[in-house]
Amino acid sequence: MQTNPSIKKKIKLDAITIQILWNRLITIVDEAATGLIRTAYTPSVKEYHDFCCALFDANAQMLSHSTITTAGFLGIVPEVMKNFLKAHPKNTLRPGDVLITNDPWIASGHLIDISIASPIFYKKQIVGYTLCIVHHLDMGGRMATLESKDVYEEGLKIPILKLFEKGKLNSTIFDFMKANLRVPDKVLGDVRAQLVANNVCTRGLQMLLKEYQLSGLEELGSEVIKRTESSLRKKISLLPDGSYRNDVILPLIPKCAAKIEIKTLVTVCGDEIIIDYTGSSGEVMAAVNCSYNMTRSYTSYPIKLALDPDVPNNDGGLRPIKVIAPEGTIVNSRPPAATWGRTMISHLFPEIIFAALEKIMPSKILASNGGSPSNEVYLHGRGKDGRSFLAIAQHSGGYGASKFFDGHSCLCFPNNTSNIPIEVTENEASMYYTKKELLTDSGGPGKCRGGLGQEVGFCILGDHTKINQYVETSVRLSGRTENGTFPVAGLSGGRNGRGSGMWINKKAVEHGIYRRLQPQSMVKFIISGGGGYGEARDRDPQKVLEDVRQGYISMSGAKTDYGVIINKKNMTVDIKSTTLLRKQKNG
Amino acid sequence: MSDCYRLGIDIGGTFTDFTLYDQINKEVIVEKVLTSSIAPEKAVLDGVEKLAKYVPNFYKNLYEVIHATTLITNVILERKGDKTGLITTEGFKDILELRREVRYDIYDMFIKFPPPLVPRELRCGVEERILASGQILKPLNRAEVKKVALFFKNSGVQAISIAFLHSYKNNSHELEALEIVRNTLPNIPISLSHQVVAEPKEYERFSTTTIDAYVKSTADKYLEKLVLGLKKKGFSKKIYVMLSNGGTATVETAKSVPIQMVESGPAAGVEAACFFGGLLKRKNLLSFDMGGTTAKLCIVENGSASKSRNFEVDRVHRFKSGSGLPAVVPVYDLLEIGAGGGSIARLDDLNLFKVGPDSSGSNPGPACYGNKGNKATVTDADLLLGYLNPDYFLGGEIQLNLSASEKVISDTFSKKTKLSPIKAAAGIHEIVNENMASAARVYIGEKGKSASDLSLIAFGGAGPVHAVSLAKKLGIKEIIIPPMCGVMSSLGLLTAPVAFEKYKVVRSLIKKINFKDLEKDFSTLEEETMKHMDDSANLSIKRCLELRYSGQDFPLEVFVKNNLFNKKVIKEIEASFTKKYEKMYGKVDDENPIEIATIRVNVIQKVPKLKLSDTKKTTLVKHKSERKIYELDQNKIVSVQVFERSKLANGQRLEGPAIIEEKESTTLVKSGTTAIVHETGCLIINIHK
Repeated sequence: MQTNPSIKKKIKLDAITIQILWNRLITIVDEAATGLIRTAYTPSVKEYHDFCCALFDANAQMLSHSTITTAGFLGIVPEVMKNFLKAHPKNTLRPGDVLITNDPWIASGHLIDISIASPIFYKKQIVGYTLCIVHHLDMGGRMATLESKDVYEEGLKIPILKLFEKGKLNSTIFDFMKANLRVPDKVLGDVRAQLVANNVCTRGLQMLLKEYQLSGLEELGSEVIKRTESSLRKKISLLPDGSYRNDVILPLIPKCAAKIEIKTLVTVCGDEIIIDYTGSSGEVMAAVNCSYNMTRSYTSYPIKLALDPDVPNNDGGLRPIKVIAPEGTIVNSRPPAATWGRTMISHLFPEIIFAALEKIMPSKILASNGGSPSNEVYLHGRGKDGRSFLAIAQHSGGYGASKFFDGHSCLCFPNNTSNIPIEVTENEASMYYTKKELLTDSGGPGKCRGGLGQEVGFCILGDHTKINQYVETSVRLSGRTENGTFPVAGLSGGRNGRGSGMWINKKAVEHGIYRRLQPQSMVKFIISGGGGYGEARDRDPQKVLEDVRQGYISMSGAKTDYGVIINKKNMTVDIKSTTLLRKQKNG
Repeated sequence: MSDCYRLGIDIGGTFTDFTLYDQINKEVIVEKVLTSSIAPEKAVLDGVEKLAKYVPNFYKNLYEVIHATTLITNVILERKGDKTGLITTEGFKDILELRREVRYDIYDMFIKFPPPLVPRELRCGVEERILASGQILKPLNRAEVKKVALFFKNSGVQAISIAFLHSYKNNSHELEALEIVRNTLPNIPISLSHQVVAEPKEYERFSTTTIDAYVKSTADKYLEKLVLGLKKKGFSKKIYVMLSNGGTATVETAKSVPIQMVESGPAAGVEAACFFGGLLKRKNLLSFDMGGTTAKLCIVENGSASKSRNFEVDRVHRFKSGSGLPAVVPVYDLLEIGAGGGSIARLDDLNLFKVGPDSSGSNPGPACYGNKGNKATVTDADLLLGYLNPDYFLGGEIQLNLSASEKVISDTFSKKTKLSPIKAAAGIHEIVNENMASAARVYIGEKGKSASDLSLIAFGGAGPVHAVSLAKKLGIKEIIIPPMCGVMSSLGLLTAPVAFEKYKVVRSLIKKINFKDLEKDFSTLEEETMKHMDDSANLSIKRCLELRYSGQDFPLEVFVKNNLFNKKVIKEIEASFTKKYEKMYGKVDDENPIEIATIRVNVIQKVPKLKLSDTKKTTLVKHKSERKIYELDQNKIVSVQVFERSKLANGQRLEGPAIIEEKESTTLVKSGTTAIVHETGCLIINIHK
C-alpha cells in the first residue's frame, strides 16, 4: 500500500507535541484495557488482570502497552504482531480482518493465552495494529497442570487464522472452541471482550490522527521508540562494564525427575546488557518449558524496572538488552514441549539477574519474593445447579526487602496480577476459604525485613454422599523451602524468607498436581515471606518491637532472629539485655 | 420580608467560603475566612457572624444553610479519626492489609501504599461463617464477640467496624454482633459492612466500612457543634449537607453515611460549573478548580457530569489510581491532582524542580502569608511573577509579604541552580501547570473526549491565575472565568438540588423478570429514598436500570421514562442497552442474555433557581493601575494594565497581556488572548495565538 502524497502533515513534532502524543498513545491502550475489563466475563480478566493491550505502528513496532498488564507480556507483545504479519502480510489485510492464535511459539508461550489482533485503517490505509492478549480460563486438554508431557496434552491449539474476514465472523473457529472447552460461554465472552479492546484502540488511534491531522504514526513512532531506547542506554552506560554470573539449581518440579539448572551470565558492555543463559538445562517432560519470547519478557523487565522505570516502555525498551538462550534448552524450548506452567521458570529471572548485579547496583534491587514463581489455584467441578464451573485464584507471597525499605506483605512480583476476592471465588466455585491470613515470622529477617507470606486454607463444599460433587483442584506453589537448594533468598546479609508447603486433610502433598477432592476435603498451603536485606542484628529494636506488637514477628522471633529482648509486661525493649545479646551474637 | 436568604458554606483546605443569596434582590454576597483545621466549625461561625454584621436582618431572613466540607478527607489524610477496631470473620483479619496484592504501577519497584486505618493489633477475627449462598455454615460465637468488645474497651478503641464475609447476602451475623458489642460499648460509633456497601468483594467493602467508622464521630460531633453553634447565634431552620455525588441531604442523613461526604466540596464546584455552563449555553466543559491544596478537574458532557461508585481516599502516589484506600460511594467522576496555591516547590536529588503534591495548607501557608511558612509555594511564585497583588489579596485582608516570597525562593533554588529568583518562580509556575496538564490529558482521554471540544471553566483562588496556561497546554481555545470564582463551591451549594439516591442489587435476567416484582422493587426503593427528604414538595423521581450481559461485572445505565413495566417497555430498555453498548464498545454480537444488575432511584427536589441580576454596566472603564509581570511565553518582564473586575462593563474587551483583579482571585489574561465580559458576569477568554 502506497502512502498518499496528498495527505500532508500539518503538525510539527516539537518536544511538547511529542510529549502530548506519547501520553495519548498510552491513554489509547489504557482505554482499550478499560473496555476489556468492563466487558469481560471471567475473574481472570476482571479481577486477576492477566492481559495486555498494545498499539503498533504500520511497521509493527510496539509503541505502547496498557498500564495494567503483567510483566510477562512485555517481551512477547512486540514479537506476536510481527509473527501475525509473517503469516498475513500487510498488503493482504483488509478492513474488518481480525487475526487469532494461541500457538505458544508464535504468541505468548502457552495455549491458554489467546492473541487477537487487527489492522487499523485510516483513510483507506493501514496506519497501525492493535493487539490484545488474554490469559483465558480454559483451553481444553488436561487443564492447568505441571504434569503434561507435551503440548498436545495441554489443549486446543489455534493456528494463526482470520477470526473475522472483512468483518464476517468465521464461526467454524468458535464452533471448534465450543466443542473443546469446559466453560465455552465464559471463554468466548472474554474473546469478545478482546474484540472490544481492539475496537476501542482502533477508534482511539483514528481520533488522534484526525485531531492532529497526521497521516500515520511513523515519525511519532520512531521518535518515542528512539527516546525510550536512548534513555535506557544512557542508564546502562552508567554501570561499570563487566560480566556477572549467577548459576542456580531450581527445586524439583513435581512428577519430573530432571534437575533444572539455570546458568546466567550478565554482561554490561557500554550501553548494552547481554544476558546469556548458555549452559542452562534442556527441555523437560513437564509443563514448565519457556518459549524464547517468554524468557525475553522476564529477562528484560528487571533491567528496565531497576534502571529506567520512569520512561514509558515500547520496542525501544527491549533493544539495549540482548538475550541469549540456546534452542532446545528450558529457556528456549521447541514444539512440542509442554509449556502451561512456564512461569515456574521465567518468574525467577528477575531475582536471578538482581542477585548477579548485587555488587554493582545494590540499592536498585530487591531480595527474592516469596511468591515467585506465582501461586495459582484452579478449581473445576459442578455446582449445586449442575452447571460446570472453573475458577482460578492467586495468592501472593512476601515482597523482597531492599536497601532502604521493608518488603510489603503479600505483594505480587515479578508478574503483576491481583488476587481474586474471596467472595468472587466463593460465588463461582463450590468451596469456601477457611483462612487467608499473614503468617507470623515468615518475612526474612534483616535490617530491612522481608514482607510476610500468608497461610491459605479452603474446604470443598457439597454432599459427599452424592456422586459427582467432587472438585478437580490444583494448587501450584513455588516449591521453594528455606533450607532447600533455592530458598527465597535475602540480600547483603539479610536472611531467607520462610514458610512453604501444602497439605490436604493435614497430610503433606506435592503441589502443582490435579486432584479430585471430595466434599469436606480441607486444603491448606503456605506462601513464603520475602527475603530480608542487611543484617537482622542491625534492625532498629524499636521497629522490632512494633513488629511484635502487630504480630508480624513473634516474641521468640525477636529474640532468636533479631537479638531483641522485649519486656512482656510493659511491651518495651529491654535495652540492656538486647545490647548484651546482640554483642554475643556478633561475637 | 423574611425567609429570603439562602447561605452556602464551603470549608476548603485553606479558606472557608460563604455565599449568601438574596432571593428578593437577586443578589449574592460573598465572604471568606481562613479555615481553622483544629475547630472547623469556628471558621463557619466566625464567617456567619461577619455576615450578620452587615447583612440586614440576617438571622431573620436566613431560611436555609447548605454546607460542604473537606473535613472527612482531612481526617483520613491526617489520620486524625477515631482509634478504630475491626471485628471480622475468623481467619480473615488481614483483608485490609492484603489489599488486592497487586502493584498499581508495574514499573515502580519501591512502591508505597497507605497504611490500613486499623493496625493489625486491633483487627480481630471471631468464629462465624456465612457462605456465598447466604447459608450459615458456622453460627456467630457470641462469647468471642463479647471478648473482643471487652478487649476493645480496655484498649481505648473509639469506633468499630464490623465486616463479615458475604454479609451483603445475609446480614444476620453483623446485626447480632452489633447487639452484643452495644452491651459493652453502648456509645461508640459502629459501622456494619452490609449497611455501608451491599455488594460482594470483601476488600472494597471492608475498607469503605472501616473508613465510615473511622470518621463517624468526627462528622457527628462536628455537625452537632455546627447546628448548635448556629442555633446559639439565632439560626435554627434548615441545614443541608452536600454529598459526593452532588446531591444535598439533611444533617441526619449525612450523619448516618458520613463517608458520602468525602468529596462534598469538589462536588459543589462541579454543580456550579454546570450552572454557569447552562447560563452560557456551553454543554461540554472541563471544570477546573484550583484551590490551596489540590486542583480538581471534571468533564461535563451535555450539561451533566458523570458519576462513579469507585473512589479512593488518601492516594499516596501522585494521586495514582490504586494507591489509595478504596471507598465504594457514589461520587462525581473527577480527577484530583496535588497542585494548588499552597503546593510546595523544591529541588530533587538531580537538582530538578519538583512542585507538589504536598501543600503548606492554611497553616503555616505560603511564605508570603507571613505566618512562619518557610517553604516556597506556587502562591509565592505567582506573587513574585507579579500575577498577584500583595496589597489586594482577598481584597486586601491579607497583606502578602513579597520579600518573604523572594527570600524563600532564592534560598530554595537560586543558590543551587544559579537561577535568579524570578526565573525560579517562572519555573515553579510552569511545572505546576505541566503537572496539571499531563494528568488532565490522561483523564480526558480515559473519558474518550478531546480537549479541543471543551471549554475550560476555571475557578478556585488559584484557578484563574493558571487557567490560560493550562488551556494552552491542553489545546483548549475558550476559557470561562465565572463571577465569584473564588467561592464557586459555596455558590454551587446554592444551585444544587436536594437529592438522594439508593440502589438495590437485582441480578436477574431481563427475559425472566416479573414486571410486578420490578415495579414493587422500584416503589419500595422510592419509599426508602423519600425518607431522606424532609419535605415532599417539588420532588421528581428518576429511575435507572443498570444492565449488562449476564456474566459481566460492569453495567451500563438505562434511564426509564415509563414507570409501568410491560413487554414493550422492557423491549425498549433492551434496545437502548444494546445501542449504548455498541456505541461504547463497537459491534461484537454478544450472545449472552441481558441481565438487570442493579436498579437505582434518584429523588430530586428542585430548589429555587439562582438568578443573578444583571446590573447593566455600560461605561467602559479604564485600568486602575499598571504593574510589571513576568511573561513566561516571552521570557521577559512586561508592564501590563490592571483592571478591577467589578467595574468592568458588559461587553468590554481586554486584550492580553492584562490582569483582572477581584476580591477572591486574579485572572491572568496572557498575551495572544482576548477577554470579553459576558452579560452573566463571566469573563470569556479566547486564545487566538
